[in-house]
Amino acid sequence: MVPISYYLILAAALFCLGMFGVLIRRNALVVFMCVELMLNAANLTFLAFAKQNGHLTGHVSAFFVIAVAAAEASIGLAIVIAVFRSRGTVSIEEIRTMKH
Amino acid sequence: MSFFDTHLLNLVVYLPLLFAALVWMLPGAERGQIRTITFIGMMVDAVFGVWAYLRFDPSGAEFQLEYRTRWLEQLGVSYHIGADGLAISLLLLTVFLGPLVVMASQTYITERVKEFHLALLVLQTVMLGALVSLDVLLFYIFWEAMLIPMYLLVGVWGAEDRQMAAVKFFLYTLAGSLLMLVAIVAIYFISSTPGNRSFDYATIFNNLSTAHSQIAACTGTGGDCSTLPGMAGILYRWGPWLFAAFAIAFAIKVPMWPVHTWLPDAHVQAPVAGSMILAGVMLKMGTFGFWRFAIPFFPSAAHQARPLLATLAVIGIVYGALMCLAQRDIKKLIAYSSVSHLGYCMLGILALTAEGATGSAYQMLNHGVSTGALFLLFGFLYERRHTRLMSDYGGIAKVVPVYTASFLIITFSSVAVPGTNGFVGEFLVLLGTFKSSLGLGFGAFATLGVILGAAYMLWMVQKVFFGPLTHRENQGLTDLNLREFATVAPFLVLVLVMGLMPQPFLDRINPSTERFLQRAELGIPGSQVRPSDVQISVMGLPPAGLAAAPNAPTPGPLADRR
Amino acid sequence: MDLKQFLLQLRLDPSALWLIIALPLLGAFLCGVFGRMLGRANVYLVACAAVAGSFLLSLSAFLSVSPLEAAQAVTMENAFSSGTIRYAFGYDFGTWFSAGTFRVNFGLMVDHLSGTLLLVITGVGFLIHLYSTSYMSHDDGYWRYFAYLNLFVAAMLTLVLADNLVLLFVGWEGVGMASYLLIGFWYSDTAKAWAGRKAFVTNRIGDFAFLIATFLIVLLVSAFNTQATAANFSMVGGNPEAAQVRYREGLQMKGPVAFQGLETMANALHVTPEKAQGGVNLQTPISEGPLEGRTFGGVLTVALLLFLLGAAGKSAQFPLYVWLPDAMAGPTPVSALIHAATMVTAGVYLFSRMSYLLVLSPTAMVTVAIIGTITSLLAALIAFAQDDIKKVLAYSTVSQLGIMFMGVGMGIFWAAVLHLVTHAFFKACLFLGAGSVMHGNADETDIKKLGGVRHEMKQTWFTFLVATLAITGIVPLSGFFSKDAIYHGIHHNHLHGYEWASSVIYYMGLLIAASTAFYMSRVYLLTFEGKRSPEAKIPHAHESDWRMTTPLWVLAILSVVALFQALPLMPGRGGVMQPVMENFLGPVFSSAERIAARGGEVKLDHSVPSIIDYLKAWLVALAGGAAAGFMYLKFFPSRAGQPAPAFARSVRRFTQNKFYVDEAYEFLVIRPVKNVSAILYKLVDTLLIDTVAVRGTAWVTARLGSALRYVQTGDAQAYAAVMALALLGGAVYALILVMK
Repeated sequence: MVPISYYLILAAALFCLGMFGVLIRRNALVVFMCVELMLNAANLTFLAFAKQNGHLTGHVSAFFVIAVAAAEASIGLAIVIAVFRSRGTVSIEEIRTMKH
Repeated sequence: MSFFDTHLLNLVVYLPLLFAALVWMLPGAERGQIRTITFIGMMVDAVFGVWAYLRFDPSGAEFQLEYRTRWLEQLGVSYHIGADGLAISLLLLTVFLGPLVVMASQTYITERVKEFHLALLVLQTVMLGALVSLDVLLFYIFWEAMLIPMYLLVGVWGAEDRQMAAVKFFLYTLAGSLLMLVAIVAIYFISSTPGNRSFDYATIFNNLSTAHSQIAACTGTGGDCSTLPGMAGILYRWGPWLFAAFAIAFAIKVPMWPVHTWLPDAHVQAPVAGSMILAGVMLKMGTFGFWRFAIPFFPSAAHQARPLLATLAVIGIVYGALMCLAQRDIKKLIAYSSVSHLGYCMLGILALTAEGATGSAYQMLNHGVSTGALFLLFGFLYERRHTRLMSDYGGIAKVVPVYTASFLIITFSSVAVPGTNGFVGEFLVLLGTFKSSLGLGFGAFATLGVILGAAYMLWMVQKVFFGPLTHRENQGLTDLNLREFATVAPFLVLVLVMGLMPQPFLDRINPSTERFLQRAELGIPGSQVRPSDVQISVMGLPPAGLAAAPNAPTPGPLADRR
Repeated sequence: MDLKQFLLQLRLDPSALWLIIALPLLGAFLCGVFGRMLGRANVYLVACAAVAGSFLLSLSAFLSVSPLEAAQAVTMENAFSSGTIRYAFGYDFGTWFSAGTFRVNFGLMVDHLSGTLLLVITGVGFLIHLYSTSYMSHDDGYWRYFAYLNLFVAAMLTLVLADNLVLLFVGWEGVGMASYLLIGFWYSDTAKAWAGRKAFVTNRIGDFAFLIATFLIVLLVSAFNTQATAANFSMVGGNPEAAQVRYREGLQMKGPVAFQGLETMANALHVTPEKAQGGVNLQTPISEGPLEGRTFGGVLTVALLLFLLGAAGKSAQFPLYVWLPDAMAGPTPVSALIHAATMVTAGVYLFSRMSYLLVLSPTAMVTVAIIGTITSLLAALIAFAQDDIKKVLAYSTVSQLGIMFMGVGMGIFWAAVLHLVTHAFFKACLFLGAGSVMHGNADETDIKKLGGVRHEMKQTWFTFLVATLAITGIVPLSGFFSKDAIYHGIHHNHLHGYEWASSVIYYMGLLIAASTAFYMSRVYLLTFEGKRSPEAKIPHAHESDWRMTTPLWVLAILSVVALFQALPLMPGRGGVMQPVMENFLGPVFSSAERIAARGGEVKLDHSVPSIIDYLKAWLVALAGGAAAGFMYLKFFPSRAGQPAPAFARSVRRFTQNKFYVDEAYEFLVIRPVKNVSAILYKLVDTLLIDTVAVRGTAWVTARLGSALRYVQTGDAQAYAAVMALALLGGAVYALILVMK
């Protein structure tokens, strides 16, 4: 049996990948995918602990996250498309209207 | 028990609101109707107010005409109103000014007439509510609610620089009030244990009084009091801070030096109604707050801060008077004279002598009458000439003799010539200060205000009314018309009545003074006052309503779950 | 029924005393409010009738306290001791206001002192009202004028009728207010209106001191009440314990500032510890309250000195006399009534009323006397060089008031009051005469531009001459006797510790008398004698009508007749004959006499001036008059056209400018106050508090906000980075905590 720490390290690595992606990538779509990566890292953690403890709560949470992620992706993508239509770009650096 | 036994104060407080609803239903174009309805409302309110004043029995219980009902029980709040001698006197002043303010604004206000009168009526209700509320949270609500109509009065119907003045007034006062809110919440938690917490004035005071006598006993022996157990220890440590929070809120409202600078701006920009209410009633809320809340809640802290506050009051008296001598703007001069006069009120309270406190309470009434009348009279002049500078007038006594005579009488009242109301208050305050343990210097310096008061008021009168007629525009000034004279006449009558027969007014104030003094004495180190001597007894909560909803949650103070 | 019987019947019920005040007050109300509707004649009628009615009531009050038959002498219950007050009656109209232990009642009282003043006020007041009906016949503001004048009379009557200090203060400020209104009566003239304000504010400085003195007295009374023992009350009469209880009851009933109570306290206060037998004496320190540690005597002296400052304001004494000469801006009858006969004597009245307190403090007494001397001399010297007839009379009033203060200060109270009365007659006569001269000469007030008026205005001339002789002190006019009675008393009374004062002040007094004779003769000669000045406004003067001359005649006669009061006609102590006035005022000053006799702080003399004294005084007056006669009839006319020497001119300019006292005040007091207030306003209020503190807070908040704005880049990734960093920081912190 794989020890739980392996899962956790993998989840942490995935999370960090996702986080740095969110922080440094310019393209909104890539940022989105990175967000998904982070969510899945969280899912992995949930499931790892669920398996270890034998509880169903972790599974429930994972499903919940997946549902939320789906909703978020659909709305987020819609926004990205809307932004692209109005501005002609999905580069985050170009979309800075929320300043001063 | 008739309806009026239990509901008289409610009636006085909420009648203006009722009439506000009436006015609200009228179309905005019906200016005459709006004015009439407002005036009738204020008059009816004044009648009930006078009735309440007459019903108040000086030798009776401390709080009379009480009414209490359940409200926000989970928080320990109840709707509790009642009036003591000071509150009923100020209530009388408020309802007296009400109709006159409406009359004074009849031609002054020509825009947004409906909104203006709505603001007046709402303001009347909240001011009266603040005076009579016996629940600290209820008081706070009324206290803050006062700001809104006043802000509108200054900001909408004011003079050229009204926005700045209104914002300044609002923020200045709000800053203090928020500090007070923190202190109120703190005192709510300190004053009692979970489960019994209450915002009721009497409950908080009674709970604190034992702790205060412990502190007094401890400071009397000179030991280390920070180790006192329980509430006394907490109060000893935090009392000064809480007192400071209350004191700052009230001091801004009074206004005491050096937090007075909102007043000249607000007065100068406010319309005549705003100035009258501001000077007449609102400033007294500050002194009233000291008398009702700040000092009785924290007597020992108040005792420590007394020399400082008294110094500020004396500075206010002399400084305010000196400021008047440097003004060119008549309204500003009257505003600064308010700073000076309110300094007397504060000094009288802080003297902690029967003469001083009674005089202070009386001086609050006097100031409302004489300064209110000064603003009123000047408002009439402003309406005619639209200038506030003294140099734009001069020698107008010939043109407007009745106006001049009225102004002179009020001026004499303001400089406290014996025989007018101002004298009784000022004399008692100064006598009380001399008798107090503050030291003779305070009294002597405060008495300087007597000289300076005459100097600046007569200087202004001189500049405006006497000498040759210097401006051609003033040639055509018209004297007071009937409506205007009818507005001024009650003030003139009151100036003399209150000057020659002050005793009926003082009789209602005196018992409150005695109680206030005893409560304040609780803070003197080694004080002999026992907590049982100063307990406030008020009516209890009425039994819970019989028809409670079957599945309503069981009532229990939310505060349990800290 | 003969006259005597009739007069015996004429007694005023004490409860009707308020009518004396109420009548003029009603007159003031009617004239002031309905004056223009009533018309000129009706206003005259109302105003004069009000004062005349008040005069009749005063007369009947006066007759009640000084009945023609000794058997009918009234007595009044003393609220503070079991004794009675002889030759007095009063009535208490209930509480005015009370708070704590303090209480003031509407108590009115008439005794011989206030009775005398009642007659002077209403009598002279009525004459001046009558005079005014002619004097003001061309003025449109007649209704205002009579309203103010009636108001003044009412206030002045309150002042003398009051039986406590606070009610007296009502009259005290009330007369000040009426005086303010009347000085500034012709308010369209800026200078005149300013003069009114100057008078009021200067008076207010005095009132400031008066108030503080009153407060000190209240403190003193309460200290006395706590510390006094029965031993103190052994001197009050009756059983000491009962007397003390009675005193406490009195305090509760009438409050601490009632004159009766102060008198009882003065009687009960021992002067030295030796005699006190454990009771409170002047050297006893006060044991509690704000005056703790200070002695009774010390506090009393301070209070009296403050009263002196108060009296200096009202009675135009140094250093507060500056308002009176300017007060001549008012109509001349006003100057006669307020600024000569009645209001300005209020200070003298106050000290006579409280003579029992004054004799407890020789320091205060000598200060009063010295202030009086300084004032009197200063004013006399200034009067030398004034050319305005009213200004000369004004300074002469200041000077005469100084003489009264000298008298009060040296303890010769009755003579001071007598001089007050005679001065009221002849000075009112002089002022009214001056008014008549002005009226007949197109309002010319410069005596250099008058001259020779005697031929055209015979009645005015004669009455003015009589009054001039009276004030100069020529036998057998009243002024001579009253002034000499004061000087004699000054010379023979002694204040413990200040024995030098008696002779110093006496000789200064002689100098003042000579000066008085000089400047009064000067005014008289320049106005009435000689030839009519070529600079006169109109070629011929005209005599005034009967309404103006009648008062002149009455006053002139009175200033002669009043002399009988100074004649030793009454049997006094030890078989020595006593002056009438001294005998008459005896009951009023009996406490002062008793205290002086008991304590040895003050030695009061009761001898009658000898013929030598009279001769000396007469010679002095004659010398002064003769000098003036020589200067203005021979010397100056003969030198006409020649320039005066530079020295004389500079002295004259210095005197004419009133020793630059007004300028000194302007420079030392008024400007600094104005500048300080302007600087405080600009620097502290506008700059420091409003700009730096209040707007500063707003500015800092706004700046801080706009500085933080730049953090808001709009870059979502930057925000996320900050969040991540914060998260990291939190995690690291948690780790460190766990590791520890």
